[in-house]
Amino acid sequence: MADLGNILLLFLFPVSVFTMLIALAAGVTKRRGLFEAARRGAYAAFGLATFAVLALEYLLVTSDFSIEYVASNTNYALPMFYKIVALWAGHNGSLLLWTWIITVFIAIVAYQNRHKNNDLMPYVLFVMASTMVFFSILSVFVSNPFDTLYQDLGNQLQEFTVRDGRGLNPLLQHPAMIIHPPILFIGYVGSVVPFAFAIAALITGKLDAGWIHSTRRWALTAWGFLAAGIVLGGKWAYVELGWGGYWSWDPVENASLLPWLTATAYLHSVMIQERKGMLKIWNMTLVIATYLLSIFGTFLTRSGIVSSVHAFSNSGLGPAFAVFLTISTLLSISLLLYRRKDLKPDEEMQSLISRESGFLFNNLLFLLATIAVLWGTLFPVISEIFTGDQITVGPPWFNNIMIPIGLALLLLTGVGPLLAWRHTSVETLKRSFGWPILGSFTLVLILIGFGIHDGWSLGSFAIAFFVMWTIVIEFVKGARIRSRNTDENIFVAIYLLSRKNTRRYGGYIIHAAMVIMFVGFTGTAFNSETRAEVGEGDFFELGPYTFTANHIHHAETENYSSETLELEMSRNNQVITLLLPEKRYYYASEQPSTEVDIYSTLREDIYTVLSGMSNDGERVIVQVYRNPFVKLIWIGSFIMVFGTLFAMIPNLRILTKKAGTAPLSKGGE
Amino acid sequence: MNNKIKFIVGSAVIIAAVIVLAVQGMQEDSTMSYSKSVSEVQLMGSRARSLSLKVNGSLKKGSIIRNNLDLDFVITEGNSELLIHYIGKDPIPDTFNNEMDAEVVVSGRLAEDGVFNAERIQAKCASKYEADYSSAAI
Repeated sequence: MADLGNILLLFLFPVSVFTMLIALAAGVTKRRGLFEAARRGAYAAFGLATFAVLALEYLLVTSDFSIEYVASNTNYALPMFYKIVALWAGHNGSLLLWTWIITVFIAIVAYQNRHKNNDLMPYVLFVMASTMVFFSILSVFVSNPFDTLYQDLGNQLQEFTVRDGRGLNPLLQHPAMIIHPPILFIGYVGSVVPFAFAIAALITGKLDAGWIHSTRRWALTAWGFLAAGIVLGGKWAYVELGWGGYWSWDPVENASLLPWLTATAYLHSVMIQERKGMLKIWNMTLVIATYLLSIFGTFLTRSGIVSSVHAFSNSGLGPAFAVFLTISTLLSISLLLYRRKDLKPDEEMQSLISRESGFLFNNLLFLLATIAVLWGTLFPVISEIFTGDQITVGPPWFNNIMIPIGLALLLLTGVGPLLAWRHTSVETLKRSFGWPILGSFTLVLILIGFGIHDGWSLGSFAIAFFVMWTIVIEFVKGARIRSRNTDENIFVAIYLLSRKNTRRYGGYIIHAAMVIMFVGFTGTAFNSETRAEVGEGDFFELGPYTFTANHIHHAETENYSSETLELEMSRNNQVITLLLPEKRYYYASEQPSTEVDIYSTLREDIYTVLSGMSNDGERVIVQVYRNPFVKLIWIGSFIMVFGTLFAMIPNLRILTKKAGTAPLSKGGE
Repeated sequence: MNNKIKFIVGSAVIIAAVIVLAVQGMQEDSTMSYSKSVSEVQLMGSRARSLSLKVNGSLKKGSIIRNNLDLDFVITEGNSELLIHYIGKDPIPDTFNNEMDAEVVVSGRLAEDGVFNAERIQAKCASKYEADYSSAAI
């Protein structure tokens, strides 16, 4: 099976190269036959990569320990489910998965557009296939997942098999970690599609908004998957790493945030281009930046150029990525400069207080956020070049910049949608924002009364309240008008209203989700924690809660042995819950692992970690964190995914009663 | 035109504010740490004591001494050794124990007595991924 896998991959490489070259030839000669050939090449690549993935799955599931990848990431006792997902537990498998996702996307795009976008498509396939060529080179020649274990006997290499594998890294044995990598990969790879269309538009000079319409759903899909991947990464860090937090501005975390920031900026600024024909160069730049940052993120994660808590070994992929990134950047910039005259704006901006300028400030802030994160992430490399000292900037530095930017963006979320295009009068502003602002001030006063004095937190709560209010008004106001005209009940009106312009109202749902998540982030300011060494019967306190160590329990399974602390949590002598933080020792990997236990309510998480034990096993060190509002982050992320899906469904075409034959709803605002 | 100027002024104010925040953050000692290896720390001499440091090295096997909530251990690089005293609050990483080879990064400061007071410990388990399989061959 390993031989079959190798053969499949060996075919994938020339097929990718063939697809790339034929697609280019099709573009240059405009011959339909060549395009058809490129399209078939894309399908063939998809088939080959699919079977290669299946071959690796077969080896993983059957525990073929002559294969290095299988031996390094699984073992006999590992549950079947984890054997299957070990496909992306390690480096080589991840790259294969990545390659496969690209082939899936190429196949879909080739099929979707078999009769559409005839001018662009050859170049779209060319650009996507180039990326595929790059990743297939990595999969075939640099980190091949089908490599067998062998030893060097001087004059020959001898293959061998091990009795049992090393097992899956215990840290990865968690549901969030299982779906986090593929989801993030889909997000990364998804950015290839808008990029390919943008480049095709630049090459062909067909620079109308056609490429934007063709890639709207792709851009939104990539964005949604990136967002979900980032949140899942945070969730995994939270429940699995045992330090009570979900984000630490680690380079690998930042790597996934960077393309998300530019993609978010793009999803906003693209609306100005559709509506006003402005910001054409800028939108191209954002699409290109998102693609490059996605590749850069992979590079950062896989090359080990910046040291990170993520234990990815230095895999020798660095130079390959550096070359690919440099070429892509230079070609993109040259194309953009070559076409700059054709990308002039159709209109000039009219007023500072307008929807357009709201979008412009939004984009400026996203750009600054991207630059700040990039700068902070690469600072160790930059500082080493210029001073010889490798200097890292810590989380406080990132927070110092990103909290104000985040709050400013959140504020725009509330203000922007209420601004009119072209110009908004001060009167309208007063009417729209008077009550929400008054409400926010009242909230601040109430919070101060409750003893909250931290300026940033007060600001965050006030802005969150304000934005939520404006979003609700948007729904209610529209629905009122609608129900007056149609006699629909207000909820039906809200539903039909939002279904008539899913993009706009999906956007509001996402905004509401962001507000909820921001309240969750703000909770961090009120975190508290304690640490205690306890034996059976001992107790300690945190805030209003008393924690009593009932019992220390030992257990053994086929995969691991474990110690569990039964920790009773009570308040005013009322037992609230029993927490079971656990420490496991996995036999195969010879690694201990901490299983935290969390008592989670809307108000706060009580997060417990068994962080150590005395040598006799009689006493344990337990760490308890009290983290307000964390649950809102996860709830917000669910709503965000819902909003994204909502924005993708086609608009409902309904005729309003009074208007008679009202115009069909138009896509997008 | 007038509006363009207004927008440019507004943008300039925002950009300036972010730059101020970034530069100001860079000057705060607590946010910056110098990544050094054990031997580099020793070469730095007294300068090392004035800086916030991230020191990387290998955990000396069997050197971890646990005393109630406290933790002492030694990290090495070649012939250089550094005694670490953990004063942080976070739980210690799982891969950090006396049985395993671990690459360690500690963040903190060097005290007058030459002991390194670590506020954070990050452990990377290098052994698993670069393990020699030949001993386990059938």
